[in-house]
Amino acid sequence: MTDVSNKIREEAGKLLEKGEVDVIIGFEKGSIPLSATPCFIRNEADIEKLIWNEYCGNNLSLYLSKARGKIGIIAKGCDTRAIVELIKEKQVQRERIVIIGVPCEGMLDRKRIMIRCQSRNITGIEDQGRQLLITGDSLNVAVEKDEFFYPACQVCANRNPVMCDVFIGNTIEEQKTDEFTDVTDFNEKPSEERWAYITDEIDRCIRCYACRNACPLCYCKECFVDATQPQWVGKTIEQSDTLSFHIMRSIHLAGRCIECGACERACPVMVDIRKLNRKMSADVKNMFGYKTGLDIDQPAPLSVFKPDDSEEFILDI
Amino acid sequence: MGNKETSWEPKIIAFLCNWCSYAGADLAGVGRMQYPANVRVIRVPCSGRISPFFILSSLQNGADGVLVSGCHPGDCHYLTGNYSARRKFALLKSQLEHIGIEKERVQFTWVSASEGGKFAEVINRVTETVKALGPAKRLVKKCL
Amino acid sequence: MDYRIIKKSKITEYLNNLINEYVIFAPIEKDDIVLYDRIKSGDEVILDYSNSVNSPKEAVIPQLETLISCKNNEDITCVKEHLDEQKRFLLFGARPCDARSLLFLDKVFNDEKCRDVYYMNRRNALTIISLGCTRPQETCFCTTTGGSPFSSEGSDLLFVDIGDDYIIQVITEKGAELVEKLDLENTQNDELTKMDIVINKSKARIEPEMELKILKDKLDSSFEGSAWEILTEKCLSCGICTYHCPTCHCFDMIDEETKGKVERIRLWDSCQFPHFTMQTSGFNPRPTYKERYRQRIMHKFSYCFDNYNMAGCVGCGRCVSQCPVNLDIRQVLTAFYGKHEEIRL
Repeated sequence: MTDVSNKIREEAGKLLEKGEVDVIIGFEKGSIPLSATPCFIRNEADIEKLIWNEYCGNNLSLYLSKARGKIGIIAKGCDTRAIVELIKEKQVQRERIVIIGVPCEGMLDRKRIMIRCQSRNITGIEDQGRQLLITGDSLNVAVEKDEFFYPACQVCANRNPVMCDVFIGNTIEEQKTDEFTDVTDFNEKPSEERWAYITDEIDRCIRCYACRNACPLCYCKECFVDATQPQWVGKTIEQSDTLSFHIMRSIHLAGRCIECGACERACPVMVDIRKLNRKMSADVKNMFGYKTGLDIDQPAPLSVFKPDDSEEFILDI
Repeated sequence: MGNKETSWEPKIIAFLCNWCSYAGADLAGVGRMQYPANVRVIRVPCSGRISPFFILSSLQNGADGVLVSGCHPGDCHYLTGNYSARRKFALLKSQLEHIGIEKERVQFTWVSASEGGKFAEVINRVTETVKALGPAKRLVKKCL
Repeated sequence: MDYRIIKKSKITEYLNNLINEYVIFAPIEKDDIVLYDRIKSGDEVILDYSNSVNSPKEAVIPQLETLISCKNNEDITCVKEHLDEQKRFLLFGARPCDARSLLFLDKVFNDEKCRDVYYMNRRNALTIISLGCTRPQETCFCTTTGGSPFSSEGSDLLFVDIGDDYIIQVITEKGAELVEKLDLENTQNDELTKMDIVINKSKARIEPEMELKILKDKLDSSFEGSAWEILTEKCLSCGICTYHCPTCHCFDMIDEETKGKVERIRLWDSCQFPHFTMQTSGFNPRPTYKERYRQRIMHKFSYCFDNYNMAGCVGCGRCVSQCPVNLDIRQVLTAFYGKHEEIRL
């Protein structure tokens, strides 16, 4: 990890020095244990702040449409997929960004680790490769990293950047997880059970919209849920309203969601939002043979059609 | 007042495209064809005009079933509206089923201007299936 | 002050005795996360926790509440005000910072010129039993905002953990009444010494980071300036910090019609949302993240001093631990306070 951090600093330094970019979007050390936080480096003197570790979960491509000037961005596999979609949707111009690609073996879920540590004060973290030894206030636990990768990372099929200008580190082996078995498994449950699961999750939602705001593809100037004329969906936390919001968000992201899991990571009450988005990704792949964020030239599945698209769902008499 | 169970009739919202399905419904009327009075028709310019919001909103606000009908593929007045709609609806229907809403509640079909008979039959079939499901309970808005 | 003692193992039993008389809000574990929620039985309650994800303000300002409703009833439109007499309410196991936050909310909703009847209806029925913090977290900064891990401000009873027992500090009349009801034993001197040790040990762990009066002046003089833009660059403008803040209290009112019944609903709103300040003309005085985040900080650490002579923050640290991009309010404040130059302005 320190190697990667050093390499990132080196490359970022070069870019800034040569004036190829105005700002580097990367990660710096977070203010609390087990965290890293997005940072914007404009000054060569600040390069040393840049780090890379297993807590760099945020999808930085989110900041691309906001930042001005030429941008250098540190991007994991999922981040680069988001960038592909953003370029395709003309939210950012390819010439304006320099992508520093970093392969990623999964990011650790701080919230779940904190739960494992009973939210005690952490004083020491020792990284032992596959394990973290965490010590603190009447606390001494060994955390198996494998159990604490984000759910999205566990089924990630693009650990290597799909597109980049500078590649850091070595290409790593991809996981064989492209079959959407999680979606099929869930679909096989009886409808009552599925409804119970989804509503149980949704009932915790407080509608802070962190899922939407953390999503790199939710860049609309005005979200449908904020609109009042017309008011598309109710603003209360009544189950029907909340669920409608989440259904509609998943539909709006169908064929655009790059499965980075930023929504779920941002959620303060850990709602399984990906349950809906994964389903759409599976459908888009199975019905239209499309996988998001891989090819800039492939048109978005909902912007095109084929005359012989599946008609299985049409009521035929 | 009678028994509520037996006297219950489903409410079905039908979104019909102006050029084919609405005309088909008209033809069914002109031809004096019988079909259940459970459907409330909303005329839209094209099946491509129908936002998934319309369907969700109907279910939220008391519809027991929703029917969307447009021109047959290839016959769209605007050439490709129904093709785009088809992809959108395939996803919506699949998502609703995924989260546990009975799949028969939301139906899609194609009815042309000359298919008055088919229209009556579709309404018969949809009404029957929704009746068999009983009143909608999921996704229905409740008073607070 | 009056002190009593209670065995830890007896808590469940006592709560079960109270459950018929009170609606009890307490920290419970639900799907792995700790939340304040209404309990049905005493054994749901967990007391070995750091702090809950949500704040207990929901007991007095629920996220969603119907103020009035009307319905057509035999040709007469009946308007009903939802101000039923509240069952007595018990907030059990709140942290001292959260108990203090209610004092702040009182200043807002129980103002002499403008009293919120819906709030007061709930507030008057509320008794607060708080649980002192023996293990303040790294995200906590209550001492900076004028509180402390064993502050009794806002509480009716304060529990102090001394091992197998809790010492109960009786703070108010309401608290005394409850203690009488439970018929609890008096404390011995050595137990009180134990309590003092626990309190001092915990207080030593959490030092105030700055002087709020000075901070206010510094903030007031830096309202304009590029610092805000730099500090908030990573903000997502979501509502987590405000929705889970124990003192944030902004709300929106909407009229909703469901099946012929019209309800006037009050629900939480957040200054971080773009529509919060959107005007009918289409003009938005706080169009970007910078203005909205600045508003949150200025409101809490400057305007609240002007209006209520108290900071609008109790230092619970929820916004610190839950922010998806780790935008740490303490770092923002120190940047303005100028204590260290970690953040380049």
